[in-house]
Amino acid sequence: MSLLELDAVSKTYRRGQEVVQALDSVSLSAGFGEFICLLGVSGCGKSTLLQILAGLEPADSGAVQIEGQPIAGGHPNASVVFQEHGLFPWMTVERNVEFNMKARGVGAAERRSVARDFINRVGLAGFERRYPHELSGGMRQRVGIARALTTRPRLLLMDEPFGALDAQTRSIMQNQLLDLWQDYRATVVFVTHSVDEAVFLADRIVIMSPRPGRVRSIVPVALPRPRDRADPAFGQCVGEVLGLIHDDLRHLMGA
Amino acid sequence: MNRLLTAALGLAPLALLLALWQAATTGGWYTSVLLPPPIEVARVFGAQWPDLLRHVGASLTRVCVGLAIACITAIPLGLMIGRFKWLDQITDWTIQIFRSLPGIALIPLAILFFGIGDKPAIILITLAAFWPLIISTIFGVKSVERTLLKVARVARAGDALVLRDILLPSALPSILTGLRLAAGAGWLTVVTAEMMAVKSGLGYYIMYAQTTFRAEEIIAGIVTIGAIGLLFDQGIRLLRHRICRWQEGLVLES
Repeated sequence: MSLLELDAVSKTYRRGQEVVQALDSVSLSAGFGEFICLLGVSGCGKSTLLQILAGLEPADSGAVQIEGQPIAGGHPNASVVFQEHGLFPWMTVERNVEFNMKARGVGAAERRSVARDFINRVGLAGFERRYPHELSGGMRQRVGIARALTTRPRLLLMDEPFGALDAQTRSIMQNQLLDLWQDYRATVVFVTHSVDEAVFLADRIVIMSPRPGRVRSIVPVALPRPRDRADPAFGQCVGEVLGLIHDDLRHLMGA
Repeated sequence: MNRLLTAALGLAPLALLLALWQAATTGGWYTSVLLPPPIEVARVFGAQWPDLLRHVGASLTRVCVGLAIACITAIPLGLMIGRFKWLDQITDWTIQIFRSLPGIALIPLAILFFGIGDKPAIILITLAAFWPLIISTIFGVKSVERTLLKVARVARAGDALVLRDILLPSALPSILTGLRLAAGAGWLTVVTAEMMAVKSGLGYYIMYAQTTFRAEEIIAGIVTIGAIGLLFDQGIRLLRHRICRWQEGLVLES
């Protein structure tokens, strides 16, 4: 039994007259503690898939199972880290991190102490009383990650969380995320359009193709961690993945 | 220093007006019975201040009670309407119709129903303040960032928590803008209502001065109304500054 099992999940959007098939019969599974990257160009349905897993959108057809149980309203113990970090601008760092626990009815004292732990863990000690707009992009995203982890999720969904960060910050965040993942052992589904990021992070890369959104292929990344971008094997893996999505890119460029 | 400059700039047009007024009286453009010189008006303040203060108190109480009732009703209702689409659909037209009725137009009806006294005045103020408040609350709730509601849904936050921790704070800057408008509308209404429906307050003071043909008292009343209006507005701005500190640096100063 795997943690997550998707069987022939389809989703269609209607925008006026236009019908967009966002997902066409997507099947996928993820093991306990596995790090999965959904990789693809924009429009391949990877974010839609994440929304379905989070319970934010219903699938039109197909089945989603968590630990063998079919789910309708999303995983009961999933957390999401959004691209735009989704922090509440009127709450301090501390109160933002406490929010998911508050939603679950965790008492104030426990909330505070757990929040402090996670704030320290992501390296934001001393910033508890700051507001989000007083932080850098990387720091905000760390608040988002800390908040997502406070409820000890079995499934951590991440929607291009580092997409808006500069290259250096991004690389730091990737390393930190792997550290946290190894500590907390959640299953991670991470959406990205960066091949380099996917090869650096994932146990398995799910390559998706657009219009309609389909799973094109699934590539296991066997490189040992910590991974080194200068390692020839790393470059080889990137090349392999790039080759697989090359057709899609060419198709999109109109060739 | 900066504060002094702001004050000086803000007061400059008023000083000019005062100078023009003085010039008009010394130039004899109007008879001093109609347009008394500023010093005459100042004398009214000196001689009648206990009386004026009593009227100010009466008007202020009415405005504050009316505003408070409007806040207690309009803000929760606005939060609900902004949150639930079906409520919005039910109430939208009604709100649009009633908000375009000037409160003053309801004075005759209010007197018929509630007679002369505090009741009709307060009800009219409440009504005048209610519409700008509810509209700005609804607007504030609707403009909440979508992602934040997704965060709440994934976290399985209940409706009460969403309302209190997300929608209300998100709408607060907009609500306070509404409160500024509401205070303005309430103040306008109180003076008018007092001219017709009550026997105290600044509106009554001005009307009474007119019947006794005392222009300097009328002008003293008007000056008082203006000054209180300014103080009210500044007070609400200060309040906004206090409770929306998180907004600093996010938006242009309003």
